Amino acid sequence: MRNRATTKLNKPKVRQSWSKWNLYNLQRFKLPFAVYRTHFQQKWDAKSAARAYHGEQVSEKQWTGMFSPRIRSVMPMDARKLAQDDGSLKSAGRGSGLFKTEEDALKEEQKQIPYSQMTFAPLERRLDVAIFRAMFASSARQARQFVIHGAVTVNGKPMRHPSYLLNPGDLFQVEPERVMYATGAPKDKVDRREIRLANKEAEEAKEKEAEAAEEAEGEAAEEAKENSVENPRKTLKLLLSQAKEIMSTDKKTLPAKRKQELRGFQKAVRRVLSRSESSTILTDSLESQFSQLTLLLRAREADKKNKDMEETQEKGEEAEKPKSKPESSADDAEATETGQQQLRDNLSEAFAMATQNKEVDMSELTRDEVQVLKRALVQMRDNPIDHSKPYATPWRPRDYMSAFATIPRYLEVNHNICAAVYLRHPVARPGYSEVPSPFSDSVGTMAFTWYLRRR
Amino acid sequence: MAPRIQNQVVSNSLLPYLSPSSTTSSSTCLPRLPSTSSPSLAYRPRQSCRSLSSTVAPQTRRREEMFGWLHGPGARLKNHVPGQTNYLTSFKDKDGNLLSSTKIFPQNLMYRSESILSEDLRNEIYDRVVRQKRSVRAVSVELQVDMRRVAAVVRLVELENRMKEQDKPLALPYARAIHEMVPTSNYNKEYGSGRPHEGINDLPVHRLTNPQIFYPVSESRQFNRVDAGRVFSAAPALETSQVEENAADPYASVARITQNPGSIETVGKGDDEQQVLQPSDMRIPHPHLVAKERQNIINPNEFHKNREIYNERLAAEENATQERKLKAEKRREKQMLRVQPADSRFEFRIKDVVVSKETTGKDGRGARAPGRRYGVPSYDRKRGQVKIPTRVVV
Repeated sequence: MRNRATTKLNKPKVRQSWSKWNLYNLQRFKLPFAVYRTHFQQKWDAKSAARAYHGEQVSEKQWTGMFSPRIRSVMPMDARKLAQDDGSLKSAGRGSGLFKTEEDALKEEQKQIPYSQMTFAPLERRLDVAIFRAMFASSARQARQFVIHGAVTVNGKPMRHPSYLLNPGDLFQVEPERVMYATGAPKDKVDRREIRLANKEAEEAKEKEAEAAEEAEGEAAEEAKENSVENPRKTLKLLLSQAKEIMSTDKKTLPAKRKQELRGFQKAVRRVLSRSESSTILTDSLESQFSQLTLLLRAREADKKNKDMEETQEKGEEAEKPKSKPESSADDAEATETGQQQLRDNLSEAFAMATQNKEVDMSELTRDEVQVLKRALVQMRDNPIDHSKPYATPWRPRDYMSAFATIPRYLEVNHNICAAVYLRHPVARPGYSEVPSPFSDSVGTMAFTWYLRRR
Repeated sequence: MAPRIQNQVVSNSLLPYLSPSSTTSSSTCLPRLPSTSSPSLAYRPRQSCRSLSSTVAPQTRRREEMFGWLHGPGARLKNHVPGQTNYLTSFKDKDGNLLSSTKIFPQNLMYRSESILSEDLRNEIYDRVVRQKRSVRAVSVELQVDMRRVAAVVRLVELENRMKEQDKPLALPYARAIHEMVPTSNYNKEYGSGRPHEGINDLPVHRLTNPQIFYPVSESRQFNRVDAGRVFSAAPALETSQVEENAADPYASVARITQNPGSIETVGKGDDEQQVLQPSDMRIPHPHLVAKERQNIINPNEFHKNREIYNERLAAEENATQERKLKAEKRREKQMLRVQPADSRFEFRIKDVVVSKETTGKDGRGARAPGRRYGVPSYDRKRGQVKIPTRVVV
């Protein structure tokens, strides 16, 4: 299907898209001045403008078949008012109530139901439009592509028809990776360059590894020992400063700078964690990683006095040991190589040495600092730098996305898993229509009459 | 439209990969650039890409205007401010603070960007329904969230938990960004939710109420919603005894219908047979709330007793619904034969075809009825038959 959804500047059309071209067209959109147009022309203008937005991917014939002059609407009911009056007050007198203030009448008039804005409500049932409305794709066209390419399931079963009409209660889900790609900022040339560099490094490392594998393993153990002797206090300070930099909401910090910090932080954390006894710590849960990190750096919260600290720390160490022992023993059972075991022994010895060193014990942290460290860790885990992704990492929303961000009430969306439930068909209620449409009332009315004509 | 490579910013990114000789010799629209590049280049009046032509390429003025707008008044739309909406209609006040608005489209004032459930509120709903075993109806009333939404939230959180167990990737940064951009209904453990998330007693406008009917009634008669419904569906007026009964205990008449929807009176014959339009007290999603308010009006001071009565009624309503569902399930099971061969991973569910006037139609040739019948052609393989599924069974 050829994409006719162009965003021209000379004859602007508003589209279901988050592009900046579309945003510009949206803010300057104007229908031709009605005084110089015949009634037919006005209807034509309105209909063509509205159709360029609503279901542009649907052929006119298909749409005219979907159009329904019956529009769904609801009236919000107040239980208290229903309890006060069984309707006889309202029908009293000559049929319109005995007492009616002018205020009431004015209120009723102001809150009319915008039926004409609901002209294109049947299109909201389509799967591709619903995906766009749930903000899983940056345009209806992209949503359509996701469906065709098999990234969408309805009620857990793959659905490849973008024109599938959702029924109330249907749960649809898009692959989170696709959604991250669709809504994330694209890679810029700096990112692309970094990917190339990373690939190069990886290749070089591979070659080196192949060479190093032949050499003795004893050297590795020594290296590890050197690493562990590195002053933990200094490392912690560095980590903290980097974590603060990352979590700061200061606008002055440039994104590039923040990214650099994040990368440094990631490296530092990895370096510290690689000193841990458990070999699976790098892939472990966040909680265990954090506890390990604080344990390794002997960081504790400063809410207790120094006297208590030593005791509690000893206790803490003891408490930690039985926890970590089964893990390490399991690891030992798995690991057949004696070299690895030796390395682990060396490490634990080094840590035991470090615990006795009293200078290190003083590395206290305030509660806030611990929180900051933890949050930075969480963010690093949730939103990592990963060059293999098709979007700029760490993920950030694409430009101008917030100007289009809205989720209609007829959908219930869980963005964590990129799934949504189509609760009900969109309805109109007094003063409010649920179909997100960029056009004014008059356009809706004209378009409605255009399609009504052919019934 | 694909952006043209006339823009200097765009072409600049290509330049490192093109040798200078090829740039000069090629006849594409790549202009020769000064060595320094700056974003302000995009505004500069453009010359034609052809060196000897003085004709200005079309659309350039419009492009300039667009980029001018995007860098000027539209610049604030580029990035969102966490916790605030950032729409075309939101504007800055005197102090330069962004005032958020809910109108997302400047021309359509009838559409508002409404709030979505925050993570806390969603978890609270799940907690109440799944862990505390409260009914969907009760939770809906407590948290002012539509019943269908409550059910959907439970489904979605369940799915999320399953995905977490299976270590499937989640879109967490994306979810955080969306919740920063869109207004959210928050929930606090201590204070509860602030304003109600949405109206829970929405009455769908019924097709029968569309026509305007002139129906003369004597002024001495009380004409209420029940009567209006009967007039709309052209049913005869109620007997006086029935009217008196309803007036004596309004909730009983409502509960009779809500706990047993099959007992709604019908009018008309044959194809024209339809149910009598019920008053809005019955057709709203939470009819028990009306009874509660009525109780509060009658006995405004007996708070605890009112509460008790309300709880009783709610429980009765739920029991009736449960029973009805169980009955329907049993009936369905009765009609279905389940066969599972010993070494098969499939279960065959066999249902007898009922050939009756209801299923195959008056002449026995109904197109939607199952089975192959003599003289009824199957259009399944015919050209133009739409095969897109109309439902996906969970």
